[in-house]
Amino acid sequence: MQTFLTALFTGTSHGAIYALVALGLVLVWRGAGLINFAQMGQAMFSAYIASTIINHHINYWWAFIVAIIAGGALGGAIDVLVIRPLKKKSGSSILSSPSMRDAIPVIASLGILGILQSAAGMIWAGEERGFPAPVSTLGLSIGKRAMPFTRFDIFVIVLIWLILIATTLLLNKTSVGLAMRASALNMEVARLSGIRTRSIRTLGWILSGSLASVAGLMVAPATNVSPNSLDLLMIIGFTACVIGGLNSLWGSVTGAFILGLTISFINIYDAPGDVFLGIFAILIAVMIFRPSGLFAKGKARNV
Amino acid sequence: MFKIRRNASIAIAFFVFVFAIGTFVGPYNQGQIAVALTLFIGVLSINILTGLSGQLSLGQGALMAVGGYGCALMMINAHLSMWLAIPLSLIASALVGLLLGLVAAKLSGPYLAGTTLVLALAMPTVANKFDSILGGDTGLSIDTGMPPTWLSKVMGDIAIEQWNLYVSLPFAALALFFAANLFTSQSSRRWRAVRDHESAAALVGINVERTKISVFVISSAFAGVAGALYGLRGLVGPSVFAISLSLSLLTGSILGGLRSIAGAGLGSVIIVFLPDWIGKVIHPFSLSDQVTNYLPAFVSGLLLVLTVVVNPSGLAALFAKIFRFSRVKR
Repeated sequence: MQTFLTALFTGTSHGAIYALVALGLVLVWRGAGLINFAQMGQAMFSAYIASTIINHHINYWWAFIVAIIAGGALGGAIDVLVIRPLKKKSGSSILSSPSMRDAIPVIASLGILGILQSAAGMIWAGEERGFPAPVSTLGLSIGKRAMPFTRFDIFVIVLIWLILIATTLLLNKTSVGLAMRASALNMEVARLSGIRTRSIRTLGWILSGSLASVAGLMVAPATNVSPNSLDLLMIIGFTACVIGGLNSLWGSVTGAFILGLTISFINIYDAPGDVFLGIFAILIAVMIFRPSGLFAKGKARNV
Repeated sequence: MFKIRRNASIAIAFFVFVFAIGTFVGPYNQGQIAVALTLFIGVLSINILTGLSGQLSLGQGALMAVGGYGCALMMINAHLSMWLAIPLSLIASALVGLLLGLVAAKLSGPYLAGTTLVLALAMPTVANKFDSILGGDTGLSIDTGMPPTWLSKVMGDIAIEQWNLYVSLPFAALALFFAANLFTSQSSRRWRAVRDHESAAALVGINVERTKISVFVISSAFAGVAGALYGLRGLVGPSVFAISLSLSLLTGSILGGLRSIAGAGLGSVIIVFLPDWIGKVIHPFSLSDQVTNYLPAFVSGLLLVLTVVVNPSGLAALFAKIFRFSRVKR
């Protein structure tokens, strides 16, 4: 029973972190129509910045805030420096077919990931750094009973649920959110009705970068910080989006929790080595029966 | 018929040209050329899949791994000759490509990229699951063996790197020949139609799903041969076919030019020789280790982003444009 509860709580707490990554990916996907593979590279970069700040004996929370700002700034910079010029090139022959218009920005984001990781390697020597958690990561006991979760697990779950709710409110209840949804739905119409779609898209990149940074800081105590330490998180978050369906925000969050629980149960009841096989099995099963994700709305036939 | 003859003569010219270069350079560069020839086949497989049919795969390295393992198993367990095992290994990867293609035909853009990426990541797990056959994390060691005596008699002493080069070269030339035919074939027009407008292609009677599957199979066959040759440098294992291999193949394909065969050649030369060139350039500056270690990755990332933003058609298209421009001026 205790093992089961441990698996359940670890899975939920990890699932929450994956959900944050997935949310960031979906925000960019809906705004710009691409999977940003550099996302966790941005988070890794800002985690290094945060760790440098903490090493100077400055309060964790200052570092936390700086990391979020840095992540957002990197996201905005990528949009302005790479994605915007890329969208302008749509006249060139290779970008004239829709499949290549989708593929080329993804490849650009892979290049950005390479740049960020090697830049981090050059600046911080690629050393693996430990990273503190804001609250204790040791087992928690209430009264005399040891609980199957830690203080940090609870902190992560509460913080991330707050963020998820705040993001949903932002998208659904504010005028900025309305503008974001409108430009995601139809860029042309949104622009015609007076929405500054380019700025709105950059805002999506900034938001996504900040969310990714939070996710990075939340796994850093477990994985430490190194240029490649967040690759796994990126891949799992991305898989969560694919499973849940990229066009559905809560679909990808659900996908993230499904993956979190699956990974945690495989880790505890089976062997850690089988995690990728498990992920691949779920992914293939979903892709065969629901090719655009579990929660996608029925796809219209083109022909 | 005329095209086939032209393509054959290009392939033969390529063979002679690289063979000649191979005899002039030292062992280190011979080894590098052998790797470039191998990756040329791998990049071709991406140019066929992504360039011709518009499907983006991030796991081409995994298909190379299938070819590599296939070749190793045939050589170790069935004691097949290398010259038989390499061509046969494409059957293994084409079969896996068929399975993948059946799933991939239903998927669009990011979903396909995700599935192939996770496939590449799951590959080491498979190697560990079937530890006794596939050798787990250590992998299986195979190599090209000793050069035959008649060749040594003709050419004098042959270093192992030079022999690797001679083994890769015929396959690279054959791949060049087949790819050149593919690029001008009638089926490639079908693939391009699917790439450029799926609905319109379906309306003129092209079976979109079957087309996508067949491209996947053909591209996997190329990847399989590349994988077998890549493994024959000494080892077939999870570390050889890491995810970074898939990404550097993609980098090569974009840098050279996604839609041309010459582009695949240029791209594979760049990804193999870039670290050497950078090393030469920064040698006089005596930079610290932490910079020199990460500089090649940094530069190739930078080149990738610059290419995509400035000239997404790649170097080959750029050269073609310059050449055409000068001809018009004259």
